[in-house]
Amino acid sequence: MSPPGPIAISGPRRPPAHSVGGHVRAAGLFLVAMIFVAGFAYPLALTGIAEVLDPHAAGGSLLYHNGTLVGSSLVAQNLSRPYLFWERPSLTDYSFLNGSPSPPGPSDPALRALINETLGWMRAYGNLTVNATVPIWWAAPSASSMDPDLVPEAVLVQIPRVAVATNLSIADLQSFVNKHIVTSVVPYFGISYVDVLELDLALLPLIGR
Amino acid sequence: MFAFQSIWDVLFLIALVLAVAPFFGAYLGRVYMDRPAFGDVLLNPIERTVYRLLGTSPRRAMSAREYMFAVLLVNAGVFAFLYAFFFFQNLLPYDATAAPGMGWDLAFHSAASFTTNTDFTHFTNETQLSLGSLVIAWPLALFVSAATGLSVAVAMIRGFVRKDGTVGNFYVDLVRTISRVLLPLSALFALVLVLLGVPETFTNYVIAHPITGGTQEIFLGPVASFQAISFLGTNGGGFYSANAASPLANPSALSNLFGVFVMLLIPFSTPFAFGQIIRRRGESWPFMGTILIVFAVALALFITYQAALNPALGAIPSLGLSPNGYPVGQETRFSLPEASLFQVVSVYTNTGATNMQIGALSPVAQLVLLFGMFTQSTPGGEGTGFGMLLLFAVLGVFVGGLMVGRTPEYLGKKITTGHVRWAALALLVHPASILIPLVVAVAGGFVSTASVSLPTSAHTFTSVLYEFTSESANNGSALAAGPFNDTTTFFNVAGGVVMFVGRFVPIWAMLKVGGMFSEQEVLPPGPGTLQTASATFTVYITLFLIIVSVLLFLPVIALGPLAQIVGGP
Repeated sequence: MSPPGPIAISGPRRPPAHSVGGHVRAAGLFLVAMIFVAGFAYPLALTGIAEVLDPHAAGGSLLYHNGTLVGSSLVAQNLSRPYLFWERPSLTDYSFLNGSPSPPGPSDPALRALINETLGWMRAYGNLTVNATVPIWWAAPSASSMDPDLVPEAVLVQIPRVAVATNLSIADLQSFVNKHIVTSVVPYFGISYVDVLELDLALLPLIGR
Repeated sequence: MFAFQSIWDVLFLIALVLAVAPFFGAYLGRVYMDRPAFGDVLLNPIERTVYRLLGTSPRRAMSAREYMFAVLLVNAGVFAFLYAFFFFQNLLPYDATAAPGMGWDLAFHSAASFTTNTDFTHFTNETQLSLGSLVIAWPLALFVSAATGLSVAVAMIRGFVRKDGTVGNFYVDLVRTISRVLLPLSALFALVLVLLGVPETFTNYVIAHPITGGTQEIFLGPVASFQAISFLGTNGGGFYSANAASPLANPSALSNLFGVFVMLLIPFSTPFAFGQIIRRRGESWPFMGTILIVFAVALALFITYQAALNPALGAIPSLGLSPNGYPVGQETRFSLPEASLFQVVSVYTNTGATNMQIGALSPVAQLVLLFGMFTQSTPGGEGTGFGMLLLFAVLGVFVGGLMVGRTPEYLGKKITTGHVRWAALALLVHPASILIPLVVAVAGGFVSTASVSLPTSAHTFTSVLYEFTSESANNGSALAAGPFNDTTTFFNVAGGVVMFVGRFVPIWAMLKVGGMFSEQEVLPPGPGTLQTASATFTVYITLFLIIVSVLLFLPVIALGPLAQIVGGP
């Protein structure tokens, strides 16, 4: 082993690179510039480009029906009418103004009570037969309480109710739903699901509403 | 049946980041060492002008003490601006939602939270934050806190290649981080997010008329640009209170995986930047190995326990259980491995964004997330995570050197009592800033809902533990607002202090250790030198990190998550 050289623990202290005033000037000017860049230039420039790039997405993926703004394809809303397909339940009543509450934890008795209450409601108002199996993805609250999507089996299980309320045949409704299943463009990415609001908007003309 | 259908995209994504990270890390290293790098032609003249305006220059290198002074000064400025903005937001422009001004304690907590790269929120964005606060004030912290973290890590690394006691110029590092990394990349990534369906508009909200009647206010804004820098800077603040679970902020499986890529990019590249700066590529791999081992085990545990069916729900008659994992508090559009990947990456990079409700997870999954915040360094937050990992390595080399009787030296720099003292301080301040407020909160009766003091069940205890751990690690994810009320003055003030301590004490230690290294000569390697670019060292550092973290936190884990796992309330 070569002998270690003497270690210069501290030589003469080097003078500061900046005076205190120099620091205040540098920090202050930097922050003023950054407020302009981060708070104004950055979002404004991107909004400008985004509105050219993809105006529909940039505007919030808004959906219109007969010229009326009815919602966004990315936001769930209360669709629990017999003649419509329903969304996942929401802990916020599908409102942005009620925060983002969490469903109860897995060992919390309140969770079972909440799911049972949802199931009871779905049976009472949904013409589900006593033995009908409710897919858990339909009965469980989502993370955002705004989840606009349902797994296909949770849409298909609603067909008997919609068929009775709309006089459409079960076979027609099945092929209608199947046409609206979104599958991923890239293999292995994501899962298959149905955007319920888009589905119901497509259903409205079929039932003359 | 467990959803293996999409484990491939998870593996693909991690492989993609690992393929990009060495190149991007090398680019980062060139940027911070002022070596020729992509973009010089365009940016060098601009940066020179900015330096002149700021009254500084790359040649004016700072000591660790002066660097720390500059860090505190800039961050104090960010804090003051945010505090004032939030306090007076009802009087400032762009308050179309009529959000009231924040109380002093909430403004303190929020400003501290954003300044420290934590982005823990004690408010509901949509009702308690004006669009001005969201678009003008908060993004300042998103950029500056991320740039601060990276700059500090680089300053510390420079200690290994300098002999004059300097660690760099903080203002130059800040400017170059913004101009070469954060601003161009977040702009690019924001446009990708728009193409994947994320809104980017200056319309504050629109009023829709749902087909079943009534009205629905749809809250909008420049979401994509906000989310891009929030992910890239490992901030984790969400434009919406539902954070990355909100379908507007994270509309599809692709946007979810893209978010994972953006969150991982800089934390996975920093070890390679380290290799570039010290001009020894092989020294990156022990750190990358440690990060990957801990991260892979965490992800596997998380997915396995989230795939298990909840027995409480299995007992409900005619409930159709699902092939795609446990749905409570989860979004439909992500498969189980995709959702889990995002959540584990987000917490392990100390981003703290959530695409699920952590309060609804299994206790094992919650423990996995807590562990990532205990280590803070696998890979940890922007810059500071790698800084912590280097401090672990310094301690590990010292302890290992003592065990095998070798000179404790690392990369040709001798490790002295001074280094060890500061590294130990950084490691110990984390449990201290979690456990002290935890004990005060629980014993002092501050854990309550509305007016009723709660019995301290294991679940409530875990929630309070998670709160302070998230704040001390500058993570920002929350277990849930449900189990107790964290919007009280106590939790605002205590949380704000914990975030400052958990941020700036380790930063001070990193700069101090880097500065001490910078004052030393480089020793030539001898036969007694520990080979650090080796598999042995990788395994050693991994075990060292895990054992130290477990020993520090085992008692408190036993009272909370472990008690729940064995069936406590």
